Amino acid sequence: MSEKIKRLLSELQDYYLLSIQGLLGIFRKPFYSKDAIDQMDYAGAGSFVIVMIVSLFIGMALSLQLSAELGVLGLKMYTGKVVGISIIREVGPVTAALVYCGRVGAGMASELGSMVIGHQVDSLRVFGVDPIKKLVTPRLLSSIIMLPALTIIGNAIALLGGYYIAVFVSHQSGYVYWSSIRDILNFENVFSGSIKPFMFGFLIASISCYMGLTTKGGAKGLRKSTTNAVVFSIIMIIISDFMLTKILLYLLGFSL
Amino acid sequence: MIAFDDVYFSYGDHHILKGVNFQIQESERVAILGGSGGGKTTILKLIVGLLKPDSGRILIDNDDITIKSEDELMEVRKKFSIVFQDGALFDSLNVKENVAFCLREYTKMSEQEIDEEVDELLRIVGVEHAKYYMPDELSGGMHRRVAIARSLAVTKPRMFLYDEATTGLDPVNAENICNLINELSKNGTGHIIVTHRVIDALRVADRFIFLKDGGIALDGDSSVLIRSNISDIVVFINELKYNLS
Ligand SMILES: Nc1ncnc2c1ncn2[C@@H]1O[C@H](COP(=O)(O)OP(=O)(O)OP(=O)(O)O)[C@@H](O)[C@H]1O
Ligand SMILES: [Mg+2]
Repeated sequence: MSEKIKRLLSELQDYYLLSIQGLLGIFRKPFYSKDAIDQMDYAGAGSFVIVMIVSLFIGMALSLQLSAELGVLGLKMYTGKVVGISIIREVGPVTAALVYCGRVGAGMASELGSMVIGHQVDSLRVFGVDPIKKLVTPRLLSSIIMLPALTIIGNAIALLGGYYIAVFVSHQSGYVYWSSIRDILNFENVFSGSIKPFMFGFLIASISCYMGLTTKGGAKGLRKSTTNAVVFSIIMIIISDFMLTKILLYLLGFSL
Repeated sequence: MIAFDDVYFSYGDHHILKGVNFQIQESERVAILGGSGGGKTTILKLIVGLLKPDSGRILIDNDDITIKSEDELMEVRKKFSIVFQDGALFDSLNVKENVAFCLREYTKMSEQEIDEEVDELLRIVGVEHAKYYMPDELSGGMHRRVAIARSLAVTKPRMFLYDEATTGLDPVNAENICNLINELSKNGTGHIIVTHRVIDALRVADRFIFLKDGGIALDGDSSVLIRSNISDIVVFINELKYNLS
C-alpha cells in the first residue's frame, strides 16, 4: 500500500516537473516554432468543424429545453439570458474542452507513445534535442492558444443555435434574444468564460503529453496511455471547472 | 574511450546486467554478441546515457557519465552516432527531413546546402531514390540505411554504435550494410555493433564480446571466438559453419 502511494507521489512529481519545464520552454531557447505551428494547425484547424457541430447542437438543445420550461412559467423572454449565461460561463468552455480532449489529447498521447516505443524519443535525446522542448512545449503552447479560440467560436455558434430555436421554433422575438445576449456580454461573464479554456488547454496538453511520454510496452501500453490521457483529462477538466467557477464567483463578488 | 566498471542494471526486479566490465578504445571495431534479451541494447543505451546503471561506473573519456545531468549528457552524446535497432526514423518526417534533422538542428546551412548534403548521404547508403518517401513506405533494409545516413549527419562522431544493423535483412542487403559499416570506419573511427548474427560480426569486427547471464562470457578476437567451447557460442558458431558449408 505505502509502495503504491510512493509511486503515485513520484508520478505526480514527474508530471509537475514535465508541465513546468514544458511551460518554461515557451520562454527559453531553442524555439521550435515550426512544430508549434504544425500543432496549432492540427489541434485548432482540425478540431474546428467538430467543435462547431457540437456547439451548434448544444446551443439548440439548451434553447429548446429552456424555452419549453420557461414557457410554462410565462418567462419565455428570459430564454436568451439563461441560454447565454450557461453557454458563455459554463457549457461552452467545458464542451469545447471535452471535444478537444477526445480528439487532440488522445492524439497527442498516442503519437508521443508510439514515438517512445519506436525509440524516436531516444533518438531525439541522442541527437542532443530536449524532448520536452521539442515535443511538449509546442503542444502546450498550441493548446493554450487554440482551445480558447475554439471556445470563443463555439460559444458564438451555440448562441446562434439558441437563437434559431428561440425565434423560429419557439416563436420569440429575435430582438429580445439578442438584446439579452448583449446584456450578459459584460466583463464578469466574458472574463469567467475565457479564463477557463486556458486552464483546460494546459491541463489537456500536459496530461496527454505526460501519459504519452511515460508509455511502456507495445500496443497494450499505448492503449493504456491513450485511455489514461483521456480519462484523467476529463476528470481534471470537470474538477477544475468546478473549482474555477467557485473561485471566479468569489472574486467577481457574486453572493450565493 | 569507453569503460564499464562493475556495472549492474535492472528493470524493476528483472536483473539484466550483473557486474559488467570492459574497456573499448576509440579506434576499435567491436561486436557485442549474445542471445535475444541478453542486454545488448541495454549496454548501448547505457553508453550514451539513455539509461542509468543501478551501480558501477561508466566512463567516457575518463569522465563518469552516471552522475551527469541530462544537460551535461548532451555533450557526451555528441561523441557518438547511434543507429537504433528499429531505425527509429521520425515517422512524421520524410526521408530527406529525417536525414537533415541534425543539419537543421546544429548548422546554419542554407536550404540548398542541406539538399546537397542529404543527397550525398543518401548516395553513400544507396537509397537516393527514396528521398521523398515517408518512413512507412520504406522496406526494412531501406529503413536501416536511411537511419545510418541520418546518424552520419551527426557532426564528426568519434565512434559509431549500431544496434542490429543487419538483423532481418536478406544476405545481399546485410552484406551491403556491413560494407558500409567497414567503409565508415576506414579512417580510424571505431564502431560497436550489436548483433546476433555471427557472420556479420566477423565481417565488421576484430574484437568480440559475448554476453551471457548478465555477464561477459567471452572477450577476444575471432580466433578466441571460434575456438570457444561455451555452449551458447558453439551454437552460434555452428550456425556459421552450417552457413559456410
Ligand atoms: N523498457 C523496458 N522495460 C522493462 N524491461 C525491459 C525494457 N527494455 C528491455 N527490457 C528487458 O531487458 C532485457 C534486455 O533487453 P535488451 O533490449 O538489452 O536485449 P537485447 O540483448 O538487445 O535483445 P535483442 O537481441 O532481442 O534486441 C530483456 O529481457 C527485456 O525483456
Ligand atoms: Mg536489442
